[in-house]
Amino acid sequence: MREWWKETLELVGDAVREIRGHKLRSLLTLSGIVFGAASVVSMTSLAAGMKQLVYDDLMAMGFSRSFVAYDRGPRSDVRTAAGLRHRGLRVADIEALRAMPGVETVHGRNFPREYVVNAPADRRRIRIEGVDAGYLELRNFRIVGGRSIRPLDVENRSRVAVVGSELVRELFGNAPPVGQTITVDGVRFLVIGIVAPIQFDIIPADFSFVARRIYIPYSYLTRYAQGGGRVDQALVTATPEANFAEVLRHGELLLRQRHGGADDFEIDNEAADVLSDLAMADNILGGWNAVMFTIAGVTLIVGGIGLFSVLLISVRERVREIGVRKALGADDNDIRRLFLVESLTLAFLGAVLGIGGGAGLTVVTELIGRQFGKPFAIPVSIPGVVLAVIFALAVGLLFGWYPARRAAKLDPIEAMGGV
Amino acid sequence: MLIEARGLAKTYRLGQVDVQALRGVDVDVGAGEYIAITGPSGSGKSTLMHILGCLDTPSTGSYRLDGEDVGSLSGKRLAHVRNRKVGFVFQTFNLMPRLTVEENVALPLKYRGGVPRGERRARALALLERLGLGDRIGHRPDELSGGERQRVAIARALVGTPAILMADEPTGNLDSRAGAEVLATFAELHAAGHTIVLVTHDPGVAGRAQRVIQMSDGRVV
Ligand SMILES: Nc1ncnc2c1ncn2[C@@H]1O[C@H](COP(=O)(O)OP(=O)(O)OP(=O)(O)O)[C@@H](O)[C@H]1O
Ligand SMILES: [Mg+2]
Repeated sequence: MREWWKETLELVGDAVREIRGHKLRSLLTLSGIVFGAASVVSMTSLAAGMKQLVYDDLMAMGFSRSFVAYDRGPRSDVRTAAGLRHRGLRVADIEALRAMPGVETVHGRNFPREYVVNAPADRRRIRIEGVDAGYLELRNFRIVGGRSIRPLDVENRSRVAVVGSELVRELFGNAPPVGQTITVDGVRFLVIGIVAPIQFDIIPADFSFVARRIYIPYSYLTRYAQGGGRVDQALVTATPEANFAEVLRHGELLLRQRHGGADDFEIDNEAADVLSDLAMADNILGGWNAVMFTIAGVTLIVGGIGLFSVLLISVRERVREIGVRKALGADDNDIRRLFLVESLTLAFLGAVLGIGGGAGLTVVTELIGRQFGKPFAIPVSIPGVVLAVIFALAVGLLFGWYPARRAAKLDPIEAMGGV
Repeated sequence: MLIEARGLAKTYRLGQVDVQALRGVDVDVGAGEYIAITGPSGSGKSTLMHILGCLDTPSTGSYRLDGEDVGSLSGKRLAHVRNRKVGFVFQTFNLMPRLTVEENVALPLKYRGGVPRGERRARALALLERLGLGDRIGHRPDELSGGERQRVAIARALVGTPAILMADEPTGNLDSRAGAEVLATFAELHAAGHTIVLVTHDPGVAGRAQRVIQMSDGRVV
């Protein structure tokens, strides 16, 4: 076996020499295989890269292990005893959810409502949203100046505001906003930070509204604006170790119990939405993969036909050489091996060039992405590389077979031209 | 006897007609003999040579080479015998243009299997030294003169230590000086105990051999 490998390696060396003897012809022969391998590598890399980007984007939205409970508001059509006991979602519910096993965080939130805001440079109506400490971070909204809302702000119901980045110029002109005071319905708030939307690598979701809102501690709204400890929403995030479905089930049960069966809240499984989005992205990319594998396969087979015809030419050119080799004692197997190794070496070389080209394409894609302000990374897919090599070698074997057989079957005397 | 051939006949079929290249030839060659086969063009010299060299099989007749019945061997076995027992020298040298002199000489050992690269090189080098080509090992064939090329071909034929060295018109493509060099080499090899069979038109060349086999119209006369 070691002998066989040594001999084969030597044959590969001979084949390389033969190929180098016909550089241009070999290169032309290989073009099909190069393109095929390049498309396999670039497409698998792109597909895997895109999938990762979509995955990262969806994860960045912060809902992958979350569900939300919404306040439903009292319903006039509910006349049952339970309906009469309607109390809505309360701060106390949030505390209870926080105490549940498997829960990492619970963020209280009050939905945005328009208030009249008085700022140094303008007076206008703006949507103001009450959020918990850590909420902006969870959603990957970016603090681009000052600081975010902290636990102490929420605890103290501090009158602090994080202003959306698009509002800064309109509300404060050229003056630095952080440290200034605004009034919300006449109540003074200290501006502590500037917030900008989440940035996605690839998915076209629009979060520009973030830049046009003002965020304040939800506890302020709960206490003073809406009153009575009412919150609009509790965002529950499970720990990574916890069984999410269990946490969801127990969370819902807990709220039902606390509300005595009142139909005053609603549960929304955000994590399931993320999963279904991921599945959809997978589906689309799967379809893409199928199409591109067909294209790559056809290209490789076309490349194989090129290889085939050039090998036949090579056999014809080297008829005399084949005859001499046989006269020196080469048997059919030796000759077949000679040409098969040459075919496989050519195909492998094509694969290597193609893989280089495919990797180059991913770099080009990255550069184009950078041009458009999306500095994403597309790593070269290792399975794609392996696949390209296997495909190319299969093509080399398949299309090298007949020329090699033809060479092997030559009669030595006829091959040498009767000597 | 190294070679014992009885009643060798070879018939080629060309369309409707049969061409009888050999019509029953008996040949005996003892170890260490130096034999020239001559005869007019078309008399069957090359055909006989191909059969004796195991490049071809006779239509009828029996052939024992070095004690082995090779008249009826199949392709793979025949290649094996060719590799071990026969060294061929051709009129047109037939060296591999892309290989160096040393690689050309070592080539038959590649097809023997199991001879390590180092040993193949060493054997090629030793032969080239012996034939006065020690300073040519790294050259390509097209950098050599005709006489040198033919001596490289002789080295290649000898590298596998064959029982018999066969040459078909080895001086046919050489000028008289180069031809003389090659013949001198054959004479040396014969003196060293090698068995040589060569085919030639040239009476001068035939005259150097110990024994001449004269052919005419597919028969030994
Ligand atoms: N492959 C073949 N097919 C048909 N006829 C052949 C073939 N090879 C040889 N012959 C014929 O067989 C006869 C003997 O040919 P061969 O080559 O042995 O002659 P030769 O003595 O070597 O001639 P030369 O001195 O010209 O080389 C010739 O008539 C030739 O035409
Ligand atoms: Mg002849």
